[in-house]
Amino acid sequence: MVRGASLLVALLLLWPASPWAQPSPLVARLSTERVAITTAFVGESILVFGSTEEPLGPGGDEVIIVARGPAGPFVVRRKVEVLGMWFNGPSARFEDVPSFYAVAGTRPASLLLPEDALRARGIGLASLPLASSGARAPGFRHALVSLKQSGNLWQEDAQPIEIAGSRLFNLRLPLPSTVQPGSYSVEVMLVRARRVVATEQLGFVIQRVGTAAEIESLARGQPALYALICIILAALAGWLGSVLFRRN
Amino acid sequence: MQIYLPIAEMSVDALMLVGIGFVVGWLSGLFGVGGGFLLTPVLMLIGIPSTVAVASGANQTLGASVSGLIAQARRQNVDWQMGGVLVAGGLVGSVVGVQIFAMLRRAGQVDAAVAIFYVVVLGAVGTLMMMESIRAIFRRSRKQQARRHNHSWAHGLPLKMRFRKSRLYISIIPPLAVGFVIGILSAIMGVGGGFMLVPAMIYILGMPTAVVIGTSLFQVVCVTASVTFLQAIQVGGVDIVLTLLLLLGGVAGAQFGAAMGGKLRGEETRALLGLLVLGVAGSLFWDLLRVPQTLFSVGPAW
Repeated sequence: MVRGASLLVALLLLWPASPWAQPSPLVARLSTERVAITTAFVGESILVFGSTEEPLGPGGDEVIIVARGPAGPFVVRRKVEVLGMWFNGPSARFEDVPSFYAVAGTRPASLLLPEDALRARGIGLASLPLASSGARAPGFRHALVSLKQSGNLWQEDAQPIEIAGSRLFNLRLPLPSTVQPGSYSVEVMLVRARRVVATEQLGFVIQRVGTAAEIESLARGQPALYALICIILAALAGWLGSVLFRRN
Repeated sequence: MQIYLPIAEMSVDALMLVGIGFVVGWLSGLFGVGGGFLLTPVLMLIGIPSTVAVASGANQTLGASVSGLIAQARRQNVDWQMGGVLVAGGLVGSVVGVQIFAMLRRAGQVDAAVAIFYVVVLGAVGTLMMMESIRAIFRRSRKQQARRHNHSWAHGLPLKMRFRKSRLYISIIPPLAVGFVIGILSAIMGVGGGFMLVPAMIYILGMPTAVVIGTSLFQVVCVTASVTFLQAIQVGGVDIVLTLLLLLGGVAGAQFGAAMGGKLRGEETRALLGLLVLGVAGSLFWDLLRVPQTLFSVGPAW
């Protein structure tokens, strides 16, 4: 109830911004544009919401939302048995892998668009252009997808976009505590007759703040200073603790 | 209470970390060892990446050993001269060890390699401890006296030096070598190495038991400081939030453990410690042997 009310307030606030003369077929916003990783960070969820001009739902328009996190290279390793023990064996390196990826639709996206359109726009885990080098077995790509999915970092149709009153839609996007800091993009697409007729590009930033940010930047920027601080703090803590807890 | 570890980049229960620190501290106080050999495997077990577990384990061992060193130094139980030779070997060893560790990480073999080091070292040390303490218990029951002096092969090498505090006149090669090996193991396993150093000082170097604990703590503090420094610079695995939470529980637990340890007899304590060491080695060996639940693993490339 509270969520619905806040959504309504948000939409009312947003309403004057959209031009009355030329109503756009799709308006979408995010509940926040900045997610802070503090020392108490346990994950977060972000709300994607908006409205369409034409009614949504079966027989009408459909909406697809795709969210992407910062991309980078990842290595997938396969364990092999050597002398009865399990070691990391062959590996495949994947370039430009999004650290976070989520896709959701008012219905599963694969039912809404033809396959070439899905592939061209990179919608759905099957359409991710995961170029690999190293061991060339299809198992590696499959393993990457399933490991990312089990960590909740890649989500495909985890839950459908909710429709309210046939023109309002919203999707709660869960971000696990392991999300990488960086810029995230959110693409909202309006689908009519198996074609994308309007898109809205949104974005948010995940950044470390407070103590967590200071520790991380010091450790990265001035590792020697950080190391000395670690040594001194550990020694002080050990000495102080033994004074406090002395039992004689 | 969840807390975000900035270097491990994950969220864990802070109370659980303090609890782990307490239990490991209690055991280490009970047996008079640093406890790093228990802490690092437990951290890996709860899902801390092995690079962070090893580096932060060394950092925590440093903190846990400082108060012991101060206490022993006050009682004049530290042979600074012998300690200096051991530390010289240990510092070189820690440099070599961190290079090996960084190389293993590039090859993606850190987890298995750290486990194998644990299985081999803890298996050997645990077996020796058990055998020695069982023999000691039997000797006691036969009311025989143990040998007082230990003249080993280590006394016949060149570069001899007089260690007044230990009342020894021996070559500096054995203590340098002992320090070097412990330094390597400390860097790869995230331990202080006291459980290997103490027997080596008694049986290989023939040092009097009164100065062994204090001198080994001096070496442990210096070498773990060096490992912390090098790991932070080269691998970037030291998580100070993790270290401090573990120390919070650890220093409290160590005092309770030490109070209880005074009530146990030496041989029984060593037999129990041997069992514990063998238990840790056995569980890590089992992890290496059993078919993994997921054959694949994913990590960022570097």
